[in-house]
Amino acid sequence: MPNFNRRQFIKSLSTATPVLRGIGAPAALSALAISGCSQVNTPNIIRMAVTGRPQMLDPRKATDALSSRVNRLLYRQLIDFDDSFSPIPDLAEWQQLSPTHYRFSTREQNRFIDGSPLTAEDIAATYLSVLNPEFGSAHRGSLKNIARIKVIDNLTVDFHLNEMDALFVGRLVIGILPKRLIEQNHPFHLEPFGSGACRCLSISEQSIVLERRIDKQQLVFIPVKDATVRVLKILKGEVDIVQNDLSPELVNYCQQQKQVKVKFSRGTNFGYIGFNFEDRLLSQLPMRQAIAHGINRQAVIDAMFKGHARLGEGLLVPEHWSGVQGLDDYEYNPSKAKALLKQVDIPAELIQKDKNNQPFIELSYKTSNDPTRIRLATIYQSQLKPLGIHLKIQSYDWGTFYNDIKKGRFQLYSLAWVGVKSPDIFQYVFASNAIPPKGANRGRYRDEVADALITRAAQSDSIAEQAELYRQLQTRLHEKLAAMPLWYEDQYAVLRKEISGYQLYADGRFDGLLQCQKKVTAQVNL
Amino acid sequence: MIYKFSLVLVILWLLMVVASLFVGESANQVNLDALLHGPSSANLLGTDELGRPLLERVVLGAQTSLFVALSVVIFSAVIGTTIGIFSAYYGGWIDRIVTKIIDVFLAFPGLLLAIALAAVLGPGIENVVFALVVVGWVGYARLARAQTLSLRSREHILAAKALAVPNYRIFYRHLLPLIMAPLGVEATFGIAGAVIAEAGLSFLGLGVQPPDASWGNMIKEGTRYLLVAPHLVLAPGIALMLLVLAVNLLGDQFRDYLDVRGRHQNKA
Repeated sequence: MPNFNRRQFIKSLSTATPVLRGIGAPAALSALAISGCSQVNTPNIIRMAVTGRPQMLDPRKATDALSSRVNRLLYRQLIDFDDSFSPIPDLAEWQQLSPTHYRFSTREQNRFIDGSPLTAEDIAATYLSVLNPEFGSAHRGSLKNIARIKVIDNLTVDFHLNEMDALFVGRLVIGILPKRLIEQNHPFHLEPFGSGACRCLSISEQSIVLERRIDKQQLVFIPVKDATVRVLKILKGEVDIVQNDLSPELVNYCQQQKQVKVKFSRGTNFGYIGFNFEDRLLSQLPMRQAIAHGINRQAVIDAMFKGHARLGEGLLVPEHWSGVQGLDDYEYNPSKAKALLKQVDIPAELIQKDKNNQPFIELSYKTSNDPTRIRLATIYQSQLKPLGIHLKIQSYDWGTFYNDIKKGRFQLYSLAWVGVKSPDIFQYVFASNAIPPKGANRGRYRDEVADALITRAAQSDSIAEQAELYRQLQTRLHEKLAAMPLWYEDQYAVLRKEISGYQLYADGRFDGLLQCQKKVTAQVNL
Repeated sequence: MIYKFSLVLVILWLLMVVASLFVGESANQVNLDALLHGPSSANLLGTDELGRPLLERVVLGAQTSLFVALSVVIFSAVIGTTIGIFSAYYGGWIDRIVTKIIDVFLAFPGLLLAIALAAVLGPGIENVVFALVVVGWVGYARLARAQTLSLRSREHILAAKALAVPNYRIFYRHLLPLIMAPLGVEATFGIAGAVIAEAGLSFLGLGVQPPDASWGNMIKEGTRYLLVAPHLVLAPGIALMLLVLAVNLLGDQFRDYLDVRGRHQNKA
């Protein structure tokens, strides 16, 4: 039975001879009709629709989430993370020989896609190239504590640090590249060459084609910007998998379609509302508490996410090895919020009167022009309005919005932290000395107690002690409402019914593509 | 028959504008229990992505479109007609310069210029009006200039000049009444154009800002839910289509009415 679809048919007509173009079209149409207009799935190709083209397939330079997820399929790294985000061996096991000395031994004979063995020399060359300032890797900052890297033998490599760092192992997540190609300045972003489970067959603006090394299964990533079009494509069978980046309504719609199934898994992406602590009103704890008690997060989760999110507590999920459970919830309580608002010292010039002569204060709320974010902002606006807090929603394109946030030009804003695994994020986000551009303390939060806990945790050489200190820190940040936690959105994937064995991960990685299978089905469209 | 239908639609539009004065806060009230509900007895056109009643927002959108359409047409007509009459009446280098300016504006795609202006000025209904007036005056100026050129040598104008009637009075009493009819036809088409342009700019996020309602931004929001709630696009989309069609048909009828030759042919 011929494997023909509409696009291939038109393409074949356009490339046919002039005579065929003239007289062959009806014949071809007849042939297609005789064949029963059947459409056969191609079992050796699994197509995933993604929001855009992965920007950087060199793991040393990749910073965006999409590239990192594809790179995981192409390159293996020294370590990985378990369900509690503790580092576990991937390519290598490690020993801590001293507080500043780690030894990594590759566990097995790993090979690159050309069959050459992956050695300790390759590991050292990869990390040395990242540490080379001229190379310009964005990951150099997290690795600059490495004093030197020494190859012991073919399978063993030592990392020596300048200072003790109990979280060091968790930073070794760069995909390993072959030394000989690094020395040749091989363009890995155009021709990826790693030891991962897949090899790259082609890269173009329209698609990226990978092949699973174990069974030659092709995996194709197709950029489709619009969410509705992604859903239409999967319903039509043009793609097989869509993971995340759909509106909750579209996910709900997909659940009702018989051609596809939807899988959900708990996620770690932490949505929050940020406060500007240099603002006269928002620097007062009762003001922040009033906002926290005035927003009905559970109602938003139920109505918008159809329950596929869970209330956020801290930046790290409770199941994280340094996460904290049972923090006091900022429950929806408008009367408590009103009482808290009365405790706020509000300068007279900031109090305005509405048309009913009721006093209110206006706060600016900045967000990106993503429609879902604006929709959420409008919901907060309506929930806070009865309290006498009028949110003035200002939505900007991503560049303008992010620039304003970094420069502190806001009162309230909303963002999400994605893919956080290491607790040293707290130094980056909440330390007094991490105000942009030195870090990501965008709210200008300054707290001596928090700073002391961050410093003590960083200096501790015990993971257990660090976990305890980070829990104390998160409790403190929660009490002070350094940022208002919203929720952790679930991960989800929409799959064609022919796809089986696809697994979802909390951080949204695409590793499910390594196990999934596609079965052959013939659809007769008579 | 179709013209009566058009007239009914335009009257309906005006009634919606009157009704919008009585629409209260409920049009902007978020209701999490009614997100994307379809049409029902409680909400005749259903609810939008924030649970707001779509009917009330369509009514508010009618108000926005009328405000923009009237503002743009009035300002464009006043500015364009004034420039056109002055240019043609005085002639010489003034006319040559004005003609070149008009040519430059006509050579540039109007809506594209409006988009660029609205993007520079920032979103907002006032800026939309300003941007559309900047590109809209040209049509009136060209028409007024052409009409004035054919009228300025007429006997009654020459007589007025000979009697030392001031120019402003000649414009107001002797020129303007004679060019009002074609300008009126231009204005009817201008209304339809302004309604479409406002919707287009709001669709691009450059027009009316949420939570204020405009048919353009309602369609824009609705496109995201086309699969799950098509009524979000259909309600404002059909309202927009019918209104523009009705205004254009009435404009056509007005033009036919003014065409003396056409009228005589029809009678014959």
